[in-house]
Amino acid sequence: MQKRFNWPLWTGCVLVTLLLLLGITGPYLAPYELDFQEKLSSTVVNGKTVITYPPLPPSAEHPLGTDKWGYDLLTLLLHGAPYTVFVTLAIAFIRVFIGTIMGLYIGIQEKTQTWWLSVENAWSYMPIFIPVYFLLAGVTINSELPTASLVALFIGVVAILGTPSVTASIRQKTEQIKETQYVLAATSLGAGREQIIFRHILPQLKEQIIIILVTEIIAIMTLMGLLGMFDLFVGGTYMTTDPVIYKSITNEWAGLLGSYRSFVYGNAIWIFLSPLIAFVVAVGAFTLLAKGLRDQFEQSYNRTPFI
Amino acid sequence: MTYVKQIIGIFLLVIVICGGPLMLTTVKEEVVFAPEEVVTRAIYLVQQIAGGSLGTYYLGDYERSIAEDIIPFAISTFELLFSSVVIAVLAGLLFGLFLQRFWIVRKFQRLLDLVSTIPDFILIFLSILAAVSFYKLTSIRIITLSPTSDAANKWFPIVLLSIGPTIFLLKVISLKYVQIGGEDYIKTALAKGMGIWHVLTHHVYKNIKPFLLADLKKTIAITVANLFVVEYLLNVVGLTRFIFSKSAEYQFNAAVMGLMGIILLSILVYLLIRAILYLFERILVYK
Repeated sequence: MQKRFNWPLWTGCVLVTLLLLLGITGPYLAPYELDFQEKLSSTVVNGKTVITYPPLPPSAEHPLGTDKWGYDLLTLLLHGAPYTVFVTLAIAFIRVFIGTIMGLYIGIQEKTQTWWLSVENAWSYMPIFIPVYFLLAGVTINSELPTASLVALFIGVVAILGTPSVTASIRQKTEQIKETQYVLAATSLGAGREQIIFRHILPQLKEQIIIILVTEIIAIMTLMGLLGMFDLFVGGTYMTTDPVIYKSITNEWAGLLGSYRSFVYGNAIWIFLSPLIAFVVAVGAFTLLAKGLRDQFEQSYNRTPFI
Repeated sequence: MTYVKQIIGIFLLVIVICGGPLMLTTVKEEVVFAPEEVVTRAIYLVQQIAGGSLGTYYLGDYERSIAEDIIPFAISTFELLFSSVVIAVLAGLLFGLFLQRFWIVRKFQRLLDLVSTIPDFILIFLSILAAVSFYKLTSIRIITLSPTSDAANKWFPIVLLSIGPTIFLLKVISLKYVQIGGEDYIKTALAKGMGIWHVLTHHVYKNIKPFLLADLKKTIAITVANLFVVEYLLNVVGLTRFIFSKSAEYQFNAAVMGLMGIILLSILVYLLIRAILYLFERILVYK
C-alpha cells in the first residue's frame, strides 16, 4: 500500500516547534516594554485636530492593536507565551510521568485493585474544571503570593487532579499486555516485577504514552481557557473592585482571552480576536500533532470496513 | 441501601469540593489550609436542611430563599441538559452508525473533525459572535444578552450546548463503526445476503452499544462542563447561577445546593437516556 503524506503530523510538528521557539524568545521579541501604555494623543490631519485614544485598532505601530487601557496586544501575547507553553508542558509531563508509573504498578498486580477502580470511576465523570476552580478560587484572585508560587501551585493542583485519567489508560493497556505469551515466558524464565514492567511492558506502551502526552496538553489548554472564562488565570488574577475588572498578571493566552471576553460584543473586536486566534492556533497545533501521530501509528493495523 | 450510601458519598464529596475556597486561602504571603471552617459551615447547612429550609443566598443585593428558587432553576437546567444529550446521542447514532456508509456523511464528519480542533467553549463563543452578526445583517434576534430579560428562545442555548457532546460521541461511534465493520462476522452476514439495515441494527449496533453506554457518562460530563459556559455566557437562569454568581461573593450554601442539583440531574439524564435506548431497541431492533 502506498503511504499517504501525513500532513497533519508535519503541520502539527512545524507549528509546535514555532510555539516552543515563541515560548523561549517571546519576551525578547516584544516590540514594547510590558508596562508601555498608549495615552490620549492628538494629531493634526488636514488642518483639523484629531484626538486618538485607546483602544487603537491594528496599525503599523501596533500590529495587533491595543486594548482599552492602551497596552500593546502583541507585547502582552509575547510576554504571555512562555507561561502558556511551558505551564501546559510541565503539567502534561508530570501527569504522564506519575500516571504511567502508577498505571504500570497497579496494572501488573495479580488482583484487580477495587479501591483504585472506584477512584477512577468517580473521577472520570467529574468535569475536572470544577474541583480545580474551587481549590484555586480562594488563592488566585488578588493574591499576595508571588507569581512564581502561584504558577507552581497551579501546576501542582492541575497535575495531581488530572493524573487518574492517565493512570486509567496506562493501567488498562498494562492489563492487556500482562496476559500475553511473551510476558508469561519472561515470568517463567524468572523475570522479576521490575524486569517485566520496564523491559517487556513499557516498550510496548511507547506510542500510547506519546499520544497521551499530546492529548493531555490539549486537555490542559482547554481547561486553562475554561478557567479563564470564570476569571481564574494562571499565575494570578488582579481584580479591581470599582469597576469590577479582572486582569491576568502573567498575560497568559487563555487568561487574556478570559479577561477580554466582554469585548466580543463591542466594536473593538480585535481586542478579543487577537488572544482568541493565538489560543486557537496553540490548541490546533497540538490537536494536529495528536491526529497525525495517531494516523501514523495506526496505519499498520487499519482495516477497511466491509459495509 | 447502596444508593443511599452513594448519595451520601456524593454529598460529602460536593461539600469537600465546594469548601475549596474556604479551605485554601491566602493570608499575607502564605497559603493557609483551614478545613475546620468547612466543617462548621457544613454542620450549619445540615442543621438548616433538617429544619426544613435550604438556607438563603444573595442574588445581587437581594437575599432569597434557596428552596424557592431551586425548582425553577433546576427545571431550566434539566431542559438544557436533557435536550442536548438527546441531540448528541441521536446525531451520534444516526451519522456515526446508520448513515455512515454514505460518502456525504463521511465528508460531513471530516468537516466536524476539522471543527473539533477548536475547543468547545471557543465554539460557543464563536456561535455568539455569529448570532450577533446575524442580527446585524437580518435583524432577526436569536439571542438576548441582557441579564434582566428572559432568554429570547430555548433552542439556541440547547444547540450550543449540544455541539461539544455531539462531536465527542460522533467520533467515538464512528471509530467503533470502522473497527467493527472490519470484523469477520460482518463479512459473513453480508455474504449470507442479509440486508444492510439488518446488519446495521443486529450486528453493528449491538456491538457498539457497550461502548456507547460506557462513553455516555463521559458525554454527560462534557455536557455539564459546557453547561457552565453556556448558562454563564447566555444568561440562562439555571443551577449554575448558584455556583458562579456574577456580582456577589462566593456562597457556600448555594454552591453546595447547585452542584448537588447538577449531579443529581445528570444521573437523571443518564437514566432517561438508558430508557430511551431501551425503547429504541424494543421498537426498531427486536420489533
